[in-house]
Amino acid sequence: MDKEKLNKDLFVPAKPDENESEQIQRPNLTYWQDAWRRLKTNKGAIFGLVVIVLIGIMSIIGPHFNEDGVDDQDLGLSKLPPRVQGLESIQWLRLDGTKTETYEAASVEAAKERIRQRFTQTDDEFITYDVKREGDGSKDSAKVAGFYHVYEAKGLQDEYFWFGTDTLGRDLFTRTWYGTRISLLIAFVAAAIDMLIGVAYGGISGYFGGRTDNVMQRIIEILVGIPNLVVVILMIMILDPGIIAIIIALTITGWTGMARIVRGQVLKLKGQEFVLASRTLGSSHPRILSKHLIPNTLGMIIVNTMFTIPNAIFFEAFLSFIGLGLQPPDASLGTLINDGFKALQINPHIMIFPAIVISLIMIGFNILADGLRDALDPKMRE
Amino acid sequence: MRKANWLLLAMALLLSVFLAACSGGSSSEGDSSGEDTGSTEEGTDEGTSEEGGEASGEQVLNLLDTSQIPTMDSSLATDAVAFQYLGSTMEGLYRLGENAEPVPGIAEGEPEVSEDGLTWNIKLREDAVWSNGDPVTAHDFVFAWRRAIDPDTGSEYGPFMMNDVLKNATAINNGEKDVEELGVEAVSDYELKITLEKAVPYFHSLLTFGTYLPLNEDFVTEQGDDYALTSDNLIYNGPFTLEDWDPKANESWTMKKNPDYWDAETVQLEEINVDVVKETSTAVNLYETGETDRASLTAEFVEQYAGTEDYRTMPEPTLFYLKMNQANEYLKNQNIRKAIAMAINKQDMVDVILANGSIVANGAVPVDFTTHPESGEDFRDINGDLLTTDKEKAKELWQKGLDELGVDSIELGYLGGDTETATEMDAYIKNQLEDTLEGLTVNISSVPFEERLARDEASDYDIQNSGWGPDYLDPSTWLNMWTSDSPYMTMNYNNEEYDKLIKEANNELLTDLPARYDNFLEAEKVLMDDAAIAPLYQRSRAYLWRPSVKGVIFQPMGADFSYKWAYIEE
Amino acid sequence: MVRYILQRLGYMLLTLFLIATFSFFLMKMLPGSPMKAEQKLSEAQLEILYEKYNLDDPVPVQYINYLGNLAQGDLGVSFQMNNQPVTALLASRIPVSAHLGFQAMILGTILGMLLGLVAAVRNNSWIDYTSNVISVIGISIPSFIFAGLLQYFVGVKLGLLPIAFWEGFQHTIMPTIALAIFPLAIAARFLRTEMIEVLGSDYIVTARAKGVTKGGIMFKHGLRNALIPLVTVMGPMAVSLMTGTLVIEQIFSIPGIGEQFVTSVTTNDFPVIMGTTLFFAFFFILIILVIDILYGIIDPRIRLAGGKD
Repeated sequence: MDKEKLNKDLFVPAKPDENESEQIQRPNLTYWQDAWRRLKTNKGAIFGLVVIVLIGIMSIIGPHFNEDGVDDQDLGLSKLPPRVQGLESIQWLRLDGTKTETYEAASVEAAKERIRQRFTQTDDEFITYDVKREGDGSKDSAKVAGFYHVYEAKGLQDEYFWFGTDTLGRDLFTRTWYGTRISLLIAFVAAAIDMLIGVAYGGISGYFGGRTDNVMQRIIEILVGIPNLVVVILMIMILDPGIIAIIIALTITGWTGMARIVRGQVLKLKGQEFVLASRTLGSSHPRILSKHLIPNTLGMIIVNTMFTIPNAIFFEAFLSFIGLGLQPPDASLGTLINDGFKALQINPHIMIFPAIVISLIMIGFNILADGLRDALDPKMRE
Repeated sequence: MRKANWLLLAMALLLSVFLAACSGGSSSEGDSSGEDTGSTEEGTDEGTSEEGGEASGEQVLNLLDTSQIPTMDSSLATDAVAFQYLGSTMEGLYRLGENAEPVPGIAEGEPEVSEDGLTWNIKLREDAVWSNGDPVTAHDFVFAWRRAIDPDTGSEYGPFMMNDVLKNATAINNGEKDVEELGVEAVSDYELKITLEKAVPYFHSLLTFGTYLPLNEDFVTEQGDDYALTSDNLIYNGPFTLEDWDPKANESWTMKKNPDYWDAETVQLEEINVDVVKETSTAVNLYETGETDRASLTAEFVEQYAGTEDYRTMPEPTLFYLKMNQANEYLKNQNIRKAIAMAINKQDMVDVILANGSIVANGAVPVDFTTHPESGEDFRDINGDLLTTDKEKAKELWQKGLDELGVDSIELGYLGGDTETATEMDAYIKNQLEDTLEGLTVNISSVPFEERLARDEASDYDIQNSGWGPDYLDPSTWLNMWTSDSPYMTMNYNNEEYDKLIKEANNELLTDLPARYDNFLEAEKVLMDDAAIAPLYQRSRAYLWRPSVKGVIFQPMGADFSYKWAYIEE
Repeated sequence: MVRYILQRLGYMLLTLFLIATFSFFLMKMLPGSPMKAEQKLSEAQLEILYEKYNLDDPVPVQYINYLGNLAQGDLGVSFQMNNQPVTALLASRIPVSAHLGFQAMILGTILGMLLGLVAAVRNNSWIDYTSNVISVIGISIPSFIFAGLLQYFVGVKLGLLPIAFWEGFQHTIMPTIALAIFPLAIAARFLRTEMIEVLGSDYIVTARAKGVTKGGIMFKHGLRNALIPLVTVMGPMAVSLMTGTLVIEQIFSIPGIGEQFVTSVTTNDFPVIMGTTLFFAFFFILIILVIDILYGIIDPRIRLAGGKD
């Protein structure tokens, strides 16, 4: 390696500038700016955020994309498969407005006959066939897929139901986004109530400590012992099933998790200097709590809320499944999935779209919450 | 600690290998038997080898039911499932035959009825025995009937089936008379004398009903509180015996051919296996793989199976209708009620939502149920369509009703139904009503079956979607419940003319059957003119039935199916 | 430690007592009567029935009787299934659900842990991505959809496994998988995150510098520390198994307690609802207790006596 000789003249002492010595070189980032900066670098979290925002927007504008209302019924349009302009030619997408069924039989003709029966047709006018395997006369040797062009058969060449329709002929596109809206509403309200009660309870318990804390913690300990599921079912038995009953049932024990987290944080923070300083300056208890302690636990609160929301959506779906969900004709993702589940093997389109939306919401919230946890964690600060 | 961690990992590996091996093993099994082979029993071949059913001519029937048998105590039974299995394992004086006609069971022949129709003498066959060897005697009937009406037993169907029918039943049930005074006595071991309160013309068909089954006094007393808790605490005198029934632990049971049954040679089935399956999709999947010979279908599945030879619809005389509670100030108005009854497109409803062969109902008595004693004409044919869909008329009546009430909008609660299609049905009815009748808002609340009954009893509803199946072959099973003093009258309907017609039919006219029938016809017209209820549809049920199963009789009341004459013909 | 456990057991009893009280008065408040078809029974019948079930006593007396019976393990008789004692009902249903739940828990946590572990070690490899995809699917699809698909494709289309019922090991496979998918996803996700964090920490670097073998690092240092947070998720997991059984048992027609609970709720069978509620609460509190004790065992830094924080 060459050892270059450097001319000493190159080194000139820097001029000490009193103004500059205090200048901060890196931009002054608040906690939130810093968190946002870190969140931005997390591709997964950003993806989650985008998904949630998109679904949120769709839940607001989606139901108004076409003229069909949430409860516009027409039994003549019952159970139409999905059909989207422009995507009809892409067969594997199955958005071409056909129903399909594959049968095995001894001969191709027998299989075709079975397909005609399935679609209650007497001739082949609206059915196209795809012979997968020619038969040799032995049992199930022939295999034929039949495609029934429902829109043509019903004379609806110019109609397009993007997500298809349900039994009552209601447009599933409208209903899916409307249901998303209701599900999100339930989840957000439940999470907000959890947050309010949890933060207040946990804050007070942690801040005042001593006997207050002791009593308040014992109460939580007892509440935590009551299984959420049991409370929900008991609540729904007293109240009429509906949005309000579900929200009450979800929040009645749901806030305890938040309260525990906030209490832990407050306990940690309340001994720190800035709190002491504020107290010496004569701040009241409510002021210290609301201006100093709670803002500093906000990160944890947000992360916890992010996990609460998808849980609430899932729980609502579960309630629909056991028949304690919303009242018809109201729709949520849970009731839509439950209705579709019954017809899963025959008309899968009724369930698939709401199921995709609920999955996207779950994925979105979960990875966003993961990302937020990392971003808001001061330990991660570089 | 360290060891524990290693142990966990080792266990994980073991388990995954184990699972992989299991699925691998059964996959080869599956391949060899092929798919859709119909009657082979894949998967259950281990552990339950008895369940067979594929060998040609083997007389084993595999069935599913949607709920557990709530009770096998004939005095306490109230629902279709209980009566189904009581009917299969017990034998009363008569049993329903092919055309819903009572055929002799324990009775040796037709009853001897006195001139005034009040005294019935029935001879019993002497070869009938209980499964513990005791003979079935007249005392068993006396004991059972007294037990059902005894207030101590707390039976619901006892008083419901016996009050005003058997002599002194009502008074005994009210605690005013002793049970010994009930109008039934054993003349000898094999002769029963029944005294009626009134000459009830349908008493013969009542005798086929579960509540009138005999009970072996010694056995029941010996078992005490344990009677009928499991199949071990029961004895049988019917075509089949029940085995492995323990509702605490299992959701399945078996019925075996009863070798001691007096008519055992008629019974061809050796075994009936029943499992409880609540999800229709599970039931259909079990049918597809041949593990069951019958699956009941919801509308979703009808679309797929309607064209196959396995698909069968079973029309039944069960009516569904809207009950309108006249305690509600708006529903008190006749025009409002009529408008509601006419505003729903019932044809579309049965065609698209139910899609199982159900038909539109336009009256309060179903079609194909009873015929006029003189002309032999069907009740429905005589009275015709009384309350049909007519949206224009509905709008007119609605406006008239609103004007009379002096309001321009009405909000009504709607207590939803509890059938499989209830959600869709309720949403449809709400939509139809609100679309047709301007200014009407319907708020649905759908609750489970028992909760609906509780609210019904408390008269806590505006409109209720409700259904009713008959208990005996007589129009009164449909029309008695709409009188103002009926225990089933929860909708505060009160029409003196209607009450009078029904009262006459149940008293003075009992011996003049044609006149009595005319009274019922007239009463239905009054009821429908008042639009006290809004008839919706007469139910039919859709099933997948293995085509090889023959001779199962579908019964309009009591047990849904009779397997006594059933057999399998491969 | 003993004192701590005793104290916790004390709270457990208190919680159970409160739940029993709460559900008792809730049932008293509910509209309708526990007696089926009250209106259709005569006065005389009702009087006798009320006496039989001690419903004619004033409510406080009923309450004390109820607690007394409860203490003796007597939960009354079912109103829907005539005279079936609730205790016997629960006793014969719980083992089925416990079997299913336990199997699912074991399968879920062990496979989940393996998946998470491998994903963490081979961070950003295809194994990692596969593991992520599996856990995301597990978290985002409701278990009943999963069960329905499994039943249709594995049971009907492929004919590999029995579709329903509870009649031997083969019958338990599909419900176990359907029930295990959620715990599996949670376990995999948590373990992966924790492992990555732990493996990056100073003491691992030190251990590596000291020349500890890769396996040694992984299991001696890494896994043990990463397991702590996993214990925390066992609580939610137990709950998910509880709600899961309700749905899974119904779809696969398994005679367990979850299926029974749904039936009792839809048929207003109050004694069964109350009995099951108490059992669920008992089970749940027990799990929390076990988790807290496990904490102490896995992480010596947490001292139970001081665990009040």
